[in-house]
Amino acid sequence: MQEVRGNMSHVDDGTLHAYLDGELPPVERARLEGHVAECAACRNRLEEERALIERAIGLLGLAQPPERAAPPLHQLRRPSVVWRLRVPVAWAATVVLALGLGYYAGDRAPMSPAPEPVSMRSADSSAAGAAQPVDRLGYMSTPAPRLARTPPRAQSPVPPETRPLAAGERKEAERDRTTVDEASVVTGRDSIFGAAAASGVVTIRPRDTGAANVAPAPTAPTARAALPQRALEEVTTSNAIVQRDDARRALVATQWPIIRRGPARQILGAEPMGVPGLAVRNIRRSPTGEVVLVEQAIDSVTVIQLFQQRVEIDRYRSRSVAADSLTTERLARFIGGVRVEIAGPLSVDSLNRLLEQVKPIGP
Amino acid sequence: MPEDLADVYRSTYRSLVRFLYRKVWDAERAEDLAQEAFARALVHKPDNARGWLFVVAANMARDDARKAARERRHLTLLKAEPGAGSKELDEEIDADTQRTQVRAALDQLTPRDREALLLWDAGMSYDEIATQTGLARGAIGTTLSRARRRLVEAYDAGSEGQHVARG
Repeated sequence: MQEVRGNMSHVDDGTLHAYLDGELPPVERARLEGHVAECAACRNRLEEERALIERAIGLLGLAQPPERAAPPLHQLRRPSVVWRLRVPVAWAATVVLALGLGYYAGDRAPMSPAPEPVSMRSADSSAAGAAQPVDRLGYMSTPAPRLARTPPRAQSPVPPETRPLAAGERKEAERDRTTVDEASVVTGRDSIFGAAAASGVVTIRPRDTGAANVAPAPTAPTARAALPQRALEEVTTSNAIVQRDDARRALVATQWPIIRRGPARQILGAEPMGVPGLAVRNIRRSPTGEVVLVEQAIDSVTVIQLFQQRVEIDRYRSRSVAADSLTTERLARFIGGVRVEIAGPLSVDSLNRLLEQVKPIGP
Repeated sequence: MPEDLADVYRSTYRSLVRFLYRKVWDAERAEDLAQEAFARALVHKPDNARGWLFVVAANMARDDARKAARERRHLTLLKAEPGAGSKELDEEIDADTQRTQVRAALDQLTPRDREALLLWDAGMSYDEIATQTGLARGAIGTTLSRARRRLVEAYDAGSEGQHVARG
C-alpha cells in the first residue's frame, strides 16, 4: 500500500482511491484522515478523486447489459450441452419446432410457420362465405372466421412485449395496410407475419377445443353485423394481430435477441440480406429462431427492418392455398431461397426502392 | 449441488454477466458465457468459486473474442446525431452511442488497467483483484485510479471529438 507519511507529505492518488473504495487498512486510513483534516490541497484532491470515481461508475453504467432474470442454477447443466451443440443444431431444432409445435409458436411469437393446408382451406371456405367489404375493417380481411374462432386468450396470455392497440394506432394500421395493398410490387400475397396471424387464428389447437364460446362458423355478413362491439375488441387485441401490427411499428422486434452473422447465415441458409451501403445496426432473430431481422440505419432516427426467412417448398404450397384469404402486410421479395420483407417509417415508394436494392450482405 | 455455489450464483451471476458483457459486448452471449461458467463450476466444485468463475469467464471471453474476430467483421455501429423523430428510437440510438463510446474508451486502457477496473465494477475486493490479476495488493489503488482517469478522459475526448488535456 502506498505510504501516507505523516502530516508532512501529501497523499498519492492510489491511496486516495483505496481510501474512497473502503480498502485502506485501518492504520493507514487513520493517518490519511489525519492528514486530510489539516491539508486543504489533499482535501480538494480527495473530492476530485471522489468525483472521478463516481464519473467512472456512471460511464460503466452506460454499458450495462439488460437486466434479465437468471435461470435456476440446477438448470445450468443443460447450457454446456446446448453450448456445444448450439451452432450446428440450432436451425435443425427450429425446423423441428416449426413442424411439430407450430401451434405453440403461433401463439407465442409473431413469426411462425404457415399452417397446414387443411386448416387453411377451412379458412378459405369460411372467408369465401363472408362478403368482401375488406376496407371497412381493413386489418380484418377475413373477419368472420377470426371472430368466430378466436376464443378469449385467457389460457394463452399475450406476451409482455405486446400491448393492445389504441384506436389511433388501429386506424394507422388500417391506412398502411391499404397503401401496401395497392402497391404492385408485392410478390408474395401473404406475409411472414400474416402466416403467423393465420395460424394463430385458424389452426385448431388442443387447448382451444374445450372453449365453450367457439361459435360455429358464420355463413354470411349478417353474422358479423350481429357481433357485439366487444367481440370486435377481442379481435383487435387478439394476439396475432397485435403482434403483427407492433412488429410493423418496430416494437416487438426490438425485443428479439441480437445474433451475429454466423447464426443468421445458418438460419437463412444464405448470407443475411440488406441494403448495401447502409449501416447495419443489429441482426436479430425471432424467438422461434426462424426469422432473421436485419436493422439498418438510414440516418440517426430512421431505421428500416428487413425480416427474412428461409422459404421451404412446403411453405410455397401452403402459401398458394392461403393466398386468397390473407392480406399483404408489407412489401416482400424473394431473393434466392429467402423471403425478405421490409418495414420502416418511410413511404411505400421509398421502402419499395430500398427493397429493390436488397441483396446478400456479407464479407 | 454445493450450497455455497448456490449462494455465489445468487450474489455473483449478474456481476459476472456485466463483467463478460464489457468483454464480448453482446448481452445474450455474456449470459451464455456466465451460465456456462457456472455450469462448469457445478462440475468442478472449485474452492474459491467466485474467483474461479471470473478466471474461467475471462478465459472464455478471450477465446470467444478470438473466434469471433476470425468469423466476422465488426458490425458498423451507428453514430447518433440530434434530430426529430420517434422518441424511443432516439433514446435507443443515444444509448447505443453512449455504449459505443464507453466501449471505445475502455479499449484505450491497458489490458491490466481494464481488467482491474472491470473486476472492481463486478464487486471484487482489492484482495480478489490482486489474486486475479497477479498485481500486488498495494498497487490496486494506483491501478484503479489510473484506469478511472483514463476511462473518463478517453470518453470525454471521444464524445467531444477533441482531446481533453489533464494532469
